[in-house]
Amino acid sequence: MKAKFSPYLTRLAQFFRELSQELSKDYNYVSILSTDSVGFAVRISQRSKSVSSKTMTTERGTVIRVHDQGLYSEYAFNDIDCSRAMYQTASERKAYVLETAEKIKTELGRQMNILKRTQTAVYTTPTLKDEERVLLVEKEAEILPEEADMEKLIENLGRLSDQGVASLEGALDCVMSAQCTHINKMFITPKQYLRQSYCYAEGTAVLIATNGEDTKFAYEGVSGLGGVEIFDGLEEKLLSAVKQAKELLSSGRIEPGEYDIITAPSITGLIAHEAFGHGVEMDMFVKNRALGKEYINQRVGSDLVTMHEGALCGDTVTAFAFDDEGTLAGDVTEIDHGILKTGICDALAALRLGVEPTGNGKRENFEHKVYTRMTNTVFDSGSDSLEEMIASIKHGYLLDGTESGMEDPKHWGIQCIVSRGYEIRVGVLTGRVVSPVVMTGYVPDLLGSISMASSDRVLEGNGGCGKGYKEWVKVADGGPYLKARARLG
Amino acid sequence: MNIDFLISALKESGAGAWEITDQKNHGWEFYFIRHKLDQNRAKDVEHVTVKVYEVLEDGKFLGSASMEIPPTASEDEIRKMIGDLSFRARLVKNPFYRLNPGDGKPHQNLKMVSLENISDDFIRTMKNLPEEETRDINSYEIFISEMNRRYINSEGADYTDVYPSSMLEVVINARTEEKDHEIELYRMLTSGTCDSLHIAEEIEKAMAYGTDKLKAENTPMLGKVPVVFSTDNSLEFYHYFEAQMDAALKYQQISRAEIGQPVLAGMQGDQISMKAVAFLPNSSHNFSTDTEGAPIEDRWLIKDGIAENFYGARQFSQYLGLEKSSQVFNIVVEGGSKSEEELRQGNFLEAVEFSDFQVDPMTGDIAGEIRLAYWHHDGRVQIVSGGSVSGNMKEAAENMYFSREKKLYDGMDVPAVIRFEILTITGIGGDQ
Repeated sequence: MKAKFSPYLTRLAQFFRELSQELSKDYNYVSILSTDSVGFAVRISQRSKSVSSKTMTTERGTVIRVHDQGLYSEYAFNDIDCSRAMYQTASERKAYVLETAEKIKTELGRQMNILKRTQTAVYTTPTLKDEERVLLVEKEAEILPEEADMEKLIENLGRLSDQGVASLEGALDCVMSAQCTHINKMFITPKQYLRQSYCYAEGTAVLIATNGEDTKFAYEGVSGLGGVEIFDGLEEKLLSAVKQAKELLSSGRIEPGEYDIITAPSITGLIAHEAFGHGVEMDMFVKNRALGKEYINQRVGSDLVTMHEGALCGDTVTAFAFDDEGTLAGDVTEIDHGILKTGICDALAALRLGVEPTGNGKRENFEHKVYTRMTNTVFDSGSDSLEEMIASIKHGYLLDGTESGMEDPKHWGIQCIVSRGYEIRVGVLTGRVVSPVVMTGYVPDLLGSISMASSDRVLEGNGGCGKGYKEWVKVADGGPYLKARARLG
Repeated sequence: MNIDFLISALKESGAGAWEITDQKNHGWEFYFIRHKLDQNRAKDVEHVTVKVYEVLEDGKFLGSASMEIPPTASEDEIRKMIGDLSFRARLVKNPFYRLNPGDGKPHQNLKMVSLENISDDFIRTMKNLPEEETRDINSYEIFISEMNRRYINSEGADYTDVYPSSMLEVVINARTEEKDHEIELYRMLTSGTCDSLHIAEEIEKAMAYGTDKLKAENTPMLGKVPVVFSTDNSLEFYHYFEAQMDAALKYQQISRAEIGQPVLAGMQGDQISMKAVAFLPNSSHNFSTDTEGAPIEDRWLIKDGIAENFYGARQFSQYLGLEKSSQVFNIVVEGGSKSEEELRQGNFLEAVEFSDFQVDPMTGDIAGEIRLAYWHHDGRVQIVSGGSVSGNMKEAAENMYFSREKKLYDGMDVPAVIRFEILTITGIGGDQ
């Protein structure tokens, strides 16, 4: 079924169109992004249970962007007098439009006074184009979060939590989580009227276990574009988490050094995200904060490295139809057979750089500024099999399970903290597991060392991505198994 | 939002208990590229979160469900939302606990906040930072908020805190005189209002690190060596100890701390003493009560290495039978037995910049890629970069020492320097 667009936003549309026209009298660009995204989050463990209607992306609010004398300014708010905005006659609504416009101008005017007082200069930016566009996208979902059978879902998660604890000696708890969000966003300018509605869901199984000395936790997740039906995959993921927990409880420490490695799709995705995800966010080019700017059309990886980025690259948690600036979703080939071709770009950075935006302007929510952000970041598949890759390694590790990652776009340093390393000796997995593993290196060296890629491909979208240490958004990443060489500690 | 209507609707609903958190944020933001304004933003938002509780099976269990009610919700919508919450609350059974009681009277802890004045202070402070041809400010973002948080519950609690909250994110560049090599460093500073002196100190220090990083060699394969931490990365160690005293982690059997016992076995160096406090100068967390209406009082969490008190959310605190407890926002860690100078004796690596330094609060695993460190050995200092620090708190804390000198980072007042006698350094420049 289609995820129906928010009736609340539809009722507000006329008010916002009139407000955008009113503000256009004082500003040379006006856009309005209004959101009404609803959902739920359930967390069931042996020792505590919770249910809430808040997820990482639930929100209801509005942000207005204006442009005057080279400066972009924004005003975000979430209190609207609906009786005046939705239901009155055109003339009565006009009074509320004028009142709201005045409030916005006054608040931004207070800020301008401070800027004058401190003699602050403006980083001048051209005006965004406004062209006639109308769009309504309603994507498919079997069961919307608003229609979820919460009793059944909670009961099922409880059963899985019981099953997880019973499956593992030393289990302290099994935490089952499920979140589902129905995103509704409306983008309005004097000439544009864009609406989109889609659902995504993510669920996790976390096993916490001890061997009497150490406490370890194993984690597996499901995620994707769709509704509550996504959680059907959780039972299989729980079995995998139980297996991982057993491995972690008997794991040892790695001998630091440089090794041949095989990255499972989760780690392939982490490398894609950290290496040439953040590294080619082009708002960083504007500030001269990314080395990638100087490497366009140069080699940054082996011939096996082709990488795509864009909301059109997969049916994942971030498969939107247009971004938070009204730019349509894209599919950008960032690296083509080892050659860096381009980056990704929000609309304002694109204006400053003289390029086209790529549909990567995202906000944490309506309260936050737009930055260039990732959507789906993914390595293309190759033609090798995992078995062939393992057989080719004399001494190394198969790395799986993302804990965290951090990029350094200015110097192309990369840090990935990996949950598990499976030892390979003379072409076979020995059964020895090391944990955790810190993989560090220089991005072109790491990508340049990729010598094999499997023919399959997986994208995952659990968790969130920050810019620096804030601005959390949903992203997905992945790819095939890759063979490379890296420093592990 | 009409909070009075919401309260009356909750009372009419017959809910077993309820609580409302009304969080208003009037905020201003300024984004700069170099010292030119890239964008200015203002926000005026209100987030009202309602939690409904239902007593189940004759008081054996308590169910709860929460929801944010938009300020735009109509009265009919609010009644329906409360009904949905009541239904969902019956689906999640937790062992019974009580909400924090109040005296039925409103209490207000109000601080004057001037967005204009704080904005002016931040902008002028940033413009006045000393810069040179070879080190300067790349970009910065200023966030200033007047926060207004009201907590009300069915047991008579009604507390309002109005307070300032600020954040400054700064990117600093350093480059060679030939301008053929440039690096960047990142700082995120949080506070109540603008602390110009602290900002200037932190940025000046970061610029000096930037200059040093340009000269850095590859970190050698040092193996197990003493490591000193003297920047805000050290907070990760204190957060690990703080987590061991969290009632939620104790109840979930993740923390093994026992009151009256050493918080970690085998600590032979300085014994950690950690206190939760209500107030720290210019902290962005100086509240009268926590987010569940529990009064915040000064309380030892760990004293001389011995676990003294757990702390945390009302639910888990009551499960542990804690008489007095609250969430913790400000922390003081006592200074140790040695001066900073004494901690910098012998061979040691002083690690000051990381890609992302982490100490896992559950496992105690320590990990971080080194962006800048000083390898002190055989009477000389080598500036190094690359490779990683790793270890685990259970072994590392056996020989851990704190400086007598202290350093304040927003809600954390901690020793300026911490030294571990053994951590593993995986280098990239060959054996030492």
